[in-house]
Amino acid sequence: MQSLIKAEIIKLFKQGKTYYALGALLSIEVLILFSAYYQGTNIIDLLLENLKQKFYFEGTLLNGNLLVYLILNTLWFHLPLILMIVVSGTLTAEYKDRTLQTIMLQPVSKWKFILSKYIVAIVFTLMVVLLLAFSSFGLSYAFFGRGDLVVYLNGLNFFDAPDAAKRLQWSFLSGALSMVFFSVASLTIAVIFKEATKTWIVSAFFLILSNILLKVDFGDNWFNQLFFAKLNDTWQYFFYYTINWQQISFNSILTIAYCIIFMGGGIYWFNKKDIG
Amino acid sequence: MIISGTHLSKQYGKRKVLDNVSIGCAAGEICGLLGANGAGKTTLFKILFGLVTPDSGSVVLPIDSIKPIGGIIEKPALYEYLNAFDNIHLFASIQGLQLNKADIAGHLVKVGLPTNRLDKVANFSMGMKQRLGIAIALLNNPACLVLDEPFTGLDPLGVSSLRRLIADLAEREKLAIILSSHIIEELSKLCHTLYVLKEGKLVNSGPAQQLIADNTNVYSICADNIKFAKCLSAYQVEFKGNCAMVTIAAAEVPTLIQLLDKEQIYITSCTPELSMEKLFETNF
Repeated sequence: MQSLIKAEIIKLFKQGKTYYALGALLSIEVLILFSAYYQGTNIIDLLLENLKQKFYFEGTLLNGNLLVYLILNTLWFHLPLILMIVVSGTLTAEYKDRTLQTIMLQPVSKWKFILSKYIVAIVFTLMVVLLLAFSSFGLSYAFFGRGDLVVYLNGLNFFDAPDAAKRLQWSFLSGALSMVFFSVASLTIAVIFKEATKTWIVSAFFLILSNILLKVDFGDNWFNQLFFAKLNDTWQYFFYYTINWQQISFNSILTIAYCIIFMGGGIYWFNKKDIG
Repeated sequence: MIISGTHLSKQYGKRKVLDNVSIGCAAGEICGLLGANGAGKTTLFKILFGLVTPDSGSVVLPIDSIKPIGGIIEKPALYEYLNAFDNIHLFASIQGLQLNKADIAGHLVKVGLPTNRLDKVANFSMGMKQRLGIAIALLNNPACLVLDEPFTGLDPLGVSSLRRLIADLAEREKLAIILSSHIIEELSKLCHTLYVLKEGKLVNSGPAQQLIADNTNVYSICADNIKFAKCLSAYQVEFKGNCAMVTIAAAEVPTLIQLLDKEQIYITSCTPELSMEKLFETNF
């Protein structure tokens, strides 16, 4: 199993497309950073026109923490899209180049092979989120400094700089779990569809649908609580004054359960179907 | 038998791609599987490899081996962005083999590949890829090697060099080798036993030379002055350049060659022109 995981890591990092994806993500991040800076000025001016006359805010409100928050808001669509392309590509490329056949001609267990792909996909996803977290904080703090964070969530919420940094770090962690879910889902889609274009279309459809359903209010019922699409904004829970740890834990466990279900389904399907 | 498949059948939708096919190969034997495109050769190989589950029938492989069977299906599928060393290292590691550089070089040399090519496999010729594919197939010392259309896309030099490698592997390493092709000439030069597949059914099988002799009644005999051979007047002959297409029984060919020699007509080749129609007639 270890050698299969090692081989998957080698394959992933020896391919040029992995670096193109990482380059694309970092470029998007820089782009978001600067567009957020210009957009942020207008938003802050609009929101705080009156408040600034009555309250004292430490430092400038258009600071690194706000920019990391704005990056977080926009990143959760671009990031899973690129992750899904890279992760599903680790399997669809093997189907296309028929290297999967060559692997299966060796004494290698089918379920161990696909499980190693899922493990590497999860590790890669966490690594990419970590890289983006570091670069977001690094670039934002380097160019715009630290300061208090103002967030509009059912009203204006203010957090002092150290508290804001902690909340942003937690939200990156929570967002990483959602990203893992999308990566796992895309690999399962690749197991089913095998062909790259079909897999990308279905994965993109799955992502868009999840984002649309996230915005739809199904009322206060079990569906709204348990449906996977509703779990993807758990990271936002860290920007209410009182952090609802119970809800966050519940959502995180549920997301992990969804990951296991999707992964289990993919492994079962891959094992059951003939190769070639 | 090192490998045997018995009464194998496979159906995709309404189409039966393999119908009650049995095949076997012993150690040191080279078996050829002849059939037109779509005859079911690749499906049969996929079943032998365990990639496809047959609807009925069974495959028996050596149970005391980590890797009882190795091979290539259709064409060698390699990681084109890796070099030959990395490809062998990767395929070896996933099956639990820890090879160092010297071991890998040994595997490359065994199949006649240079050890100084460190560029990506994408730059390799088809012949080199075939050889690398065989090197990977031979990792973990399988007792049986299955090669699907191994000569496709190779130039004549590549074909003859690959043919030598396959013969060596059977003779020296005592591997049971099964090859497929839709070109009889390639199989006749190499195989001990031939199996003929037509539309998923096994229509003919037996010792290769016997099968060729039984299904050949025309031989192409070439020589500079073949047109002046008096002994050919006893046969039905059609001349094509420096070659005569002679309708003759296999048993009479040695006598005819002797007669030509007496007339000082020194032949440069004598090739059986196999009757494909006859070979592909159902004999079972």
